[in-house]
Amino acid sequence: MKFAIALHAPAHSPAARRALRFAEAALAGGHEIMRLFFYQDGVHSASSTVVSPQDELDTARQWREFVAQHQLDAVVCIAAALRRGELNTEEAQRYQRSAASIDAPWALSGLGQLHEAIQQCDRLICFGGH
Amino acid sequence: MAQSLLLISRQAPWSGPGAREALDIALAGGAFDLPLALLFLDDGVFQLRKDQQAVLLQQKDLAANLQALPLFGVEELYACQRSLVERGLVADQLGLPVSVLDDDALRALLGRFDQVMTI
Amino acid sequence: MSTLHILTHSPFADSRLASCLRLLSADDGLLLCGDAVYALQNGTRTCEALELMPSSIGLYALQEDVQARALQVPERVQCIDYPQFVALTLQHAKVNSWL
Repeated sequence: MKFAIALHAPAHSPAARRALRFAEAALAGGHEIMRLFFYQDGVHSASSTVVSPQDELDTARQWREFVAQHQLDAVVCIAAALRRGELNTEEAQRYQRSAASIDAPWALSGLGQLHEAIQQCDRLICFGGH
Repeated sequence: MAQSLLLISRQAPWSGPGAREALDIALAGGAFDLPLALLFLDDGVFQLRKDQQAVLLQQKDLAANLQALPLFGVEELYACQRSLVERGLVADQLGLPVSVLDDDALRALLGRFDQVMTI
Repeated sequence: MSTLHILTHSPFADSRLASCLRLLSADDGLLLCGDAVYALQNGTRTCEALELMPSSIGLYALQEDVQARALQVPERVQCIDYPQFVALTLQHAKVNSWL
């Protein structure tokens, strides 16, 4: 089955970890993740500038490694990301900001990507809250 | 056949970007001509109150975007009757033509759509 | 079309569970994870309400969240792991997460 997974919570939220564990289990079960869409505060879960204390879970890094390892289609909503200061190099230059925090394997794109995923997936599952 | 989406908006209008970000999903879906309905539930019904003055909070007016929904092809607009009653909102205080549904009708509505998102 | 509802907020601080219970249809499922598993705290009104739900409604809790919080789960509720969570989403026509 084809899953579309939306994450609405930042990396420090239990929901970001839960979404990752779900995604791992979906792939382990032989299913496909046709797209990840990080929206609202979920854009922070794609940030490359999160620094976790060494003895604490680094969910943003785990997400990044998971996406890269499985070469997933991983989209961060551009409007939600700009509003929350999560920019890629191109947007940082465009708006003359000093730091970029979104890079490969993540791509910034619009809500059309969410709707496309909803149209093409067998199951949409959203993670957020606590 | 396109997958239909029921979007449930349950955030109050000025508690953060939640209400606007739910609305943005609806407007984007409408722009792509997708079958989509919007349901206002719980504190989400406060978005419907007319005569709000977002400018006092230095916020963009949500009403203009709500009014634009039918222009974007989002014509199915619903509100939860229980949420309205609990919050003391009456029909002539609403700034948007919504169908008000009781719990039975809400269950039927939820069952009718292929996908659902609650924000 | 049946729906799997997912809750993650504590019912003692939030109205999501109350709203969700009113909107459940006969063949829907309800999965509690995160702080929503506090709904299963023994001797509380929320736990009683869940135990009295019609048997046609599947009641589930994410095992790690239950165990981490030292909760004892009533027999009515099935504890599941992540592979079972994935399977559960496929047993229903759609998933509604109360974000």
